[in-house]
Amino acid sequence: MTTEASQHPLELTNDFAPGESNFIKVDNFKFFYGKKEALHGINLEIPSRKVTAFIGPSGCGKSTLLRNFNRMNELIPGVHHEGDITIHGTSIYDPSVEIIALRRRIGMVFQKSNPFPMSIFENIVYPLRIAGQNTRSVLEETVERCLRSAALWDEVKDRLHDSALGLSGGQMQRLCIARAVASRPEILLMDEPCSALDPIATAKVEELIIELKKDFTIVIVTHNMQQASRVSELTAFFYLGNLVEFDNTRKIFTNPSMKQTEEYITGRFG
Amino acid sequence: MHKEPSKVHTISIFTTALDQLRSSVLKMSSLAQLNLKNSIKGLLERDDDWCNNSIADDEEIDLLEMQIDHEGIEVMSRFQPVASDLREVISSIKIGANIERVADQAVNIARRARKLNEHPQLPELHLLDRPIRLALTMFDDAVRSFAERNATLAVELKSRDKELDQLNRELTDVLINRMQDDSANLPSYLNLIFISRCLERIGDHACNIAEDIVFAVSAQDIRHPSKQQ
Amino acid sequence: MTSTATHSDKNFFSADGKGTSVFRLFRNRFLTGLCVALSLLTLVPLFSIVILVIQNGCPLLSANLFTQLPPAPGMDGGGFGNAILGTLVMVGISLVFSVPLGILAAIFVNEYAPVSWLASAVRFVAKLLTGIPSIICGVFAFAAVVMTTHKFSALAGGIALAILILPTILLTAEQALLGVPYAFREASFGVGATPFQTIWRIVLPEAMPAIMTGVMLAVARAAGETAPVLFTALFSQNWIKGIMEPTASLSVLIYNFASLPYAYHIKLAWSASLVLVALVTLSNILAQVIFAPKHR
Repeated sequence: MTTEASQHPLELTNDFAPGESNFIKVDNFKFFYGKKEALHGINLEIPSRKVTAFIGPSGCGKSTLLRNFNRMNELIPGVHHEGDITIHGTSIYDPSVEIIALRRRIGMVFQKSNPFPMSIFENIVYPLRIAGQNTRSVLEETVERCLRSAALWDEVKDRLHDSALGLSGGQMQRLCIARAVASRPEILLMDEPCSALDPIATAKVEELIIELKKDFTIVIVTHNMQQASRVSELTAFFYLGNLVEFDNTRKIFTNPSMKQTEEYITGRFG
Repeated sequence: MHKEPSKVHTISIFTTALDQLRSSVLKMSSLAQLNLKNSIKGLLERDDDWCNNSIADDEEIDLLEMQIDHEGIEVMSRFQPVASDLREVISSIKIGANIERVADQAVNIARRARKLNEHPQLPELHLLDRPIRLALTMFDDAVRSFAERNATLAVELKSRDKELDQLNRELTDVLINRMQDDSANLPSYLNLIFISRCLERIGDHACNIAEDIVFAVSAQDIRHPSKQQ
Repeated sequence: MTSTATHSDKNFFSADGKGTSVFRLFRNRFLTGLCVALSLLTLVPLFSIVILVIQNGCPLLSANLFTQLPPAPGMDGGGFGNAILGTLVMVGISLVFSVPLGILAAIFVNEYAPVSWLASAVRFVAKLLTGIPSIICGVFAFAAVVMTTHKFSALAGGIALAILILPTILLTAEQALLGVPYAFREASFGVGATPFQTIWRIVLPEAMPAIMTGVMLAVARAAGETAPVLFTALFSQNWIKGIMEPTASLSVLIYNFASLPYAYHIKLAWSASLVLVALVTLSNILAQVIFAPKHR
């Protein structure tokens, strides 16, 4: 099913080494909810056009870090950070960076699919409309492009103007992915995108993720370790606000370097 | 080297299943050790009873091999093991196959020994003493390194296998020469060559087991070092 | 294991021996019956009012009621067209003031600064105001508008009603906004929308049905209030000429006519009651239809 699986098993040199291309660079990043320090100085370099999985038990800080990449955490009152996150060498906290523009360049898919209570069409063009784009032809072209890249076009092309809330759970989540890529972002952040889906819908979304990494740098938070090992090239294991280990997914799941990682992925925790 | 997770699994039946698999391998290996020793005893003491014992008990070992495969597949399908657990399951299945072959060699030795016993004892029988001792200790050490998860002991086996190979070659040369001089005892010399060959194969299997143990313990693949990277 | 062993001889589904099952069954049925009876009892006053109003209001019901002016005392014929119009105008004026103010305040309180001291103050004052007697609103509007303009007027009546319904609108609108899932806002912010875009395009449309329910509740209250209007718009026997004139309203008309010794006027008051109830019900249904969620 996956391109990953069809690779020759001896093609180990083809594996991706961390730090080869530092697209997203996290530099001694600390994050606080009020006085509580949720991340304790994370250093991480996420390469371009790869799938990077964040794993770890609940409350380990993986989602917190993910939500800092597009500064979604700042919607929560009383948070602050130390250290820096750069994308393409530019700090996302640079005063010249507009938070709106940042979020347009970084698509986000959430744990629970959250289509707007509008038509399928309007859901996808929403990012364009809020950017002032209302030309009919552009909108139509975008809807087809996004639905195709989310592998949803064939399923919904005849009912684009029906309510998005009439779709199945898996379709809704793929619609959200389509919406997330509408503004042509470079990065896709996924926060447990399959946790509410059945195995078949999950498989479709995973297939989609592998397909999308040709065009996007994908960071996915997941509690499903099989999922991390299926879709990602790199895996970061977080525990208690620290990055314990960051390495090739294959390495993490066959021979992790850190004892904590080993204990977590083999199910020997707590 | 030794970084075995200390805690047991959150799902205790996972630990139980892995323990079960492990004890099956240990049971199978001790049976194989016994069979091998019986065959050797039958050979050296010229006693067919020991040989028959070894041949009869092989069936149980075959059943155990199938049981190990079954248990390994069960663990994989039920618990999707990763990292050290995955390596342990994979290597257990492979070790099971190698033990089964060791037991097969023990049967071969027993069959050849019975044939030798039909004729008067050749003085060259004692040329086998060294390869026998080497093969026995190699297999014992392979089993011990599995039981102790001792990768260091396992790595060491590889060099001893070279020694056994060399002994086998030398012995074969000597026996072929003897065959030319003493053609009346040709079948017996041939049987001795076969037995020497069996001992050499046991050394190979002990090495394979050692490689699987190193993989299980440290995730290193020490097979075919020249062909990697 | 022990419990199954001791009960192995009994029926698996039988009671566990604590008290007799017959008694418990009876108690259960009795309490259920009591609840149903009390629920029915609450319906009695509601239905009696509706039936009474329909019974007494129907005899005079005709088109004339809506188009003609009230008769002079002791006379028959005529209607209360001016009072209906006056009520509509004053409720309209009150909505013009209270709806934007209430919704915007709710947006501020819920969307922009939910934990600020200002939001807490607004919430506190709004809750306080819901409990204020309506006559106080009338007195306030009398002092603030009637005294300064030296005139009873529809405007003063509208302002009095606006003050009365503002807290209702604000609090129901806040609840409506609170009812919009956070996931929608998150999705909108996630694709780079500003807070304004998020509120205007996503949150408000989603909250609208619930907000309108609150507004309709307020309309019903405003249309039925007598005291604030009595103080501010007074009453008029004639058609409304401008919002700065004393104006008739249904509620004051009912109050006035019901206390007159003329049978016809009392009948008119009944009809006015029926019309008032019908108007409120109608506008409620209409709002539900218009603002019904489109995508469900």
